[in-house]
Amino acid sequence: MKRLLRMSYLVAGLAGVGFFAMSILLLGVWPGQALERQIEQTRPQHPPAPTVSEQRGRVIYGREGCAYCHTQQIRYLDNDVRRFGKATLAWETIFDYPQLWGTRRVGPDLSREAGVRSSDWQFTHLYGPRGVVADSVMPAFPWLFDGAPDRPNQEARDLVDYLETLGRNRALAGPEGEAHARESCNCSDDERRYAFGTGLLNASPAMARRTGDFPKLAAGDPARGREVYRQNCLSCHGPRGEGDGKGAAGLHPRPANFAEREYTVDRLSFAMWNGVSGTAMPAWRELPMADLAAVAEVVRGFHAKQPEPQIPQAVLELGARVYSDRCAQCHGTTGAGDGSAAAQFPIAPTNFRTQRPDIATSLRALREGIKGTPMAPWAGELSEAELSAVAYYVRTFFTGGAP
Amino acid sequence: MIKSRPAAAPPAVETPLVYAHGLAALVTLLISVCFGFLAAMEMVAPDVAGGSPWLTWGRLRYDHTQGIMLGWLGNAFFAFLYHAVPVLSGRSVTSPKLGQWLFGLWNFAVVLPGWILVLAGHSQPLEWAEFPLVVDAFVVLCLVLAAVQFLPPFFSRGLEDLYVSSWYIIGGLVFTLLSYPMGNFVPELVPGARGAAFSGLWIHDAVGLFVTPLALAIIYFVIPAATRKPIYSHFLSMLGFWLLFFLYPLNGTHHYVFSVIPMIAQIGAITASTLLGVDVIIVVANLLLSLRGTGWFPGDPALRFVGTGTVFYLIVSIQGSVQAQMSVNQSVHFTDWVVGHSHMAMLGFASFAALGGIVHAWQRIPWARYHAGMINAGYWLLFAGLIMMVTDLTIAGLVESSAWKSAAPWIESVRAAKPYWAVRVLTFVPIGAGFLFVMTGLFVGEPGDGLKSIQRELGLEPVEAIAPRFAQEVG
Repeated sequence: MKRLLRMSYLVAGLAGVGFFAMSILLLGVWPGQALERQIEQTRPQHPPAPTVSEQRGRVIYGREGCAYCHTQQIRYLDNDVRRFGKATLAWETIFDYPQLWGTRRVGPDLSREAGVRSSDWQFTHLYGPRGVVADSVMPAFPWLFDGAPDRPNQEARDLVDYLETLGRNRALAGPEGEAHARESCNCSDDERRYAFGTGLLNASPAMARRTGDFPKLAAGDPARGREVYRQNCLSCHGPRGEGDGKGAAGLHPRPANFAEREYTVDRLSFAMWNGVSGTAMPAWRELPMADLAAVAEVVRGFHAKQPEPQIPQAVLELGARVYSDRCAQCHGTTGAGDGSAAAQFPIAPTNFRTQRPDIATSLRALREGIKGTPMAPWAGELSEAELSAVAYYVRTFFTGGAP
Repeated sequence: MIKSRPAAAPPAVETPLVYAHGLAALVTLLISVCFGFLAAMEMVAPDVAGGSPWLTWGRLRYDHTQGIMLGWLGNAFFAFLYHAVPVLSGRSVTSPKLGQWLFGLWNFAVVLPGWILVLAGHSQPLEWAEFPLVVDAFVVLCLVLAAVQFLPPFFSRGLEDLYVSSWYIIGGLVFTLLSYPMGNFVPELVPGARGAAFSGLWIHDAVGLFVTPLALAIIYFVIPAATRKPIYSHFLSMLGFWLLFFLYPLNGTHHYVFSVIPMIAQIGAITASTLLGVDVIIVVANLLLSLRGTGWFPGDPALRFVGTGTVFYLIVSIQGSVQAQMSVNQSVHFTDWVVGHSHMAMLGFASFAALGGIVHAWQRIPWARYHAGMINAGYWLLFAGLIMMVTDLTIAGLVESSAWKSAAPWIESVRAAKPYWAVRVLTFVPIGAGFLFVMTGLFVGEPGDGLKSIQRELGLEPVEAIAPRFAQEVG
């Protein structure tokens, strides 16, 4: 009996080690082989491997614990796919040594961060997150900068380079890559739906678009508007809409100064719905329509209406001549920002039909240019009379005056 | 064949090593709790550290959990093992000299440099594996040394005489040695989703194969030693043990439910997680039946700590089984619910058990100071603080989950969670004070008062008369 008992303990001891080996085989090695097969079936031919800078950025991302608040894994679930985009495929993770999937989401998932934000937004956000997201609890990373958000050191540049790789290869695979993966993936109908469904590859509601539709906004509730503005807009655009919020200093171009421009509601709706492509202004498609309407009201309220001066016809004619010579190529003959050269710039030229800058604002832009945009200074090219004539002239395009 | 011999007399316990590891455990505990407090604080006031890279949230978070697992629980387990292994096996540990090396390496080649390197920006972004690889190498070395130190006394004794606590000690030490390299090295070599499958295993093995067995070893040891009654059922003990070692390693993938990892592996892990809840019911039933007659809050603080730890073990395991289910997991995964769950596991179960183990060992060091009042006060503070924190984080998790399911912008979930994060900061007061009270209770008071006070209270015979009997009765 004693001998038998001793044997049983020995058998049990071996079984114990066996259990552990079994767990590795069943839940590590075997799934790994299945994933390997799926990767081979679904991957595009030559997904670009991360550059040295991007790899360094990944190390910084790991070192600072980013993965402990931001997951990099869109689960095969409606809520994940709706919020972040198509579910993560195994081949998307082939360069991830080690994986950074994460198990906690304090901030949003970053699997599809590539192309969502402008680099000045990313830098400002890393330098001082509350400069662009008022209620963020993200740590600030000033040691990645030389004292200012627009002076990133190599580490901050590496980190932002890395962020731009997240989801990049899936986007680069394009429709052909998606079709190939969809057809050759040995996955269930559910998996297929989440990984290749009808939704957007990148569902980030902040992704800016150059063109697109926008909602017609009704009148909004001013009290709600002030609250939404405080939560989402104030950190960049400032308490009085003067474009001087905490985060403004690092952003190029600077956030719009609402106090010195008059906007049509449609222009504000477009900018909130689609963002301002090429700038740090993200889209706010996630906000309820009533909130967008309320904010539009608040933003329009920052501009104090001034009596329109009577401009002599001769001045306007001079302005029209200068405009057609110098400005129309970008800003368009009707001031709609749709000149023949407009499309080649990363930032759309101002559309004067939907926003009317004050005279002083136009003059400053004409004299000094607008930093961070293709708008060049014209002080050396044009006389003072021409500058002010064109500053008056562009105001005539505005379509949103008194009805 | 190994010849088994009952020990003639209780072998020498290396009390200086019990004391040294106990002291190191409590010091690293307080430091780890401070890391946690600072990290919690920064979620309420993110700029409170003034932009210092050494105090940034991510690095504090790494040091918090590594400090708790390796610094606090590691040292506490070693302290307990130096007390328990000679009693259980009737043999001395392999070598006091080796013990000094193990103590030095564990604290000054693992915990301290690990903390500093993480704060300086050298780490590994893998959960429960945040210390850099160079430190991991020393961890593995120390685990080997620990195996050399603590396992031979059992084997020279003969396997059939093993008490259940010994099984857990052997299992814990061997499986930690096996699983630690897997969790720390494999994901560096196997990328992405494939590596995550291994990380998932380790996230669970760290708790299931290191913390749980050694915490249960303490509980299985302290209950009979303090109550002077045997464990209710040796059969249930063995059943629980083997089910645990069969099921625990199969749980890992439940950290990545709804991921790209093959669904059948996920379902397997979820099934194992469900069965694990059943196993824990068996284990805890056996333990609670062994505690019959001591009341909910026994007078002996060591027994009280392990008793409460047992109840938390039951609650946290049932919770774990429930939250592994797909319908629950999709709601609470990624939220503070899970942070609450892990605090219940590491604080409510493992730390209560470890405190019980240390207090129990302390009571049996003739020259150690001991103040029962302080320890009891610490118990109540910890009990209250833990309940407060877990309740708070659980609600926070549900709030976050419902915000994510709505169409509201992401930042709404952050705004909604802020009041709960503020409450979590407040729980530092009872928890920090609780640990401080327990620690104080072990360093003030009369030398040798630990056992005397219990013996006075219960009118019981001294433990020295009992230890050899263990060795004989079980065989």
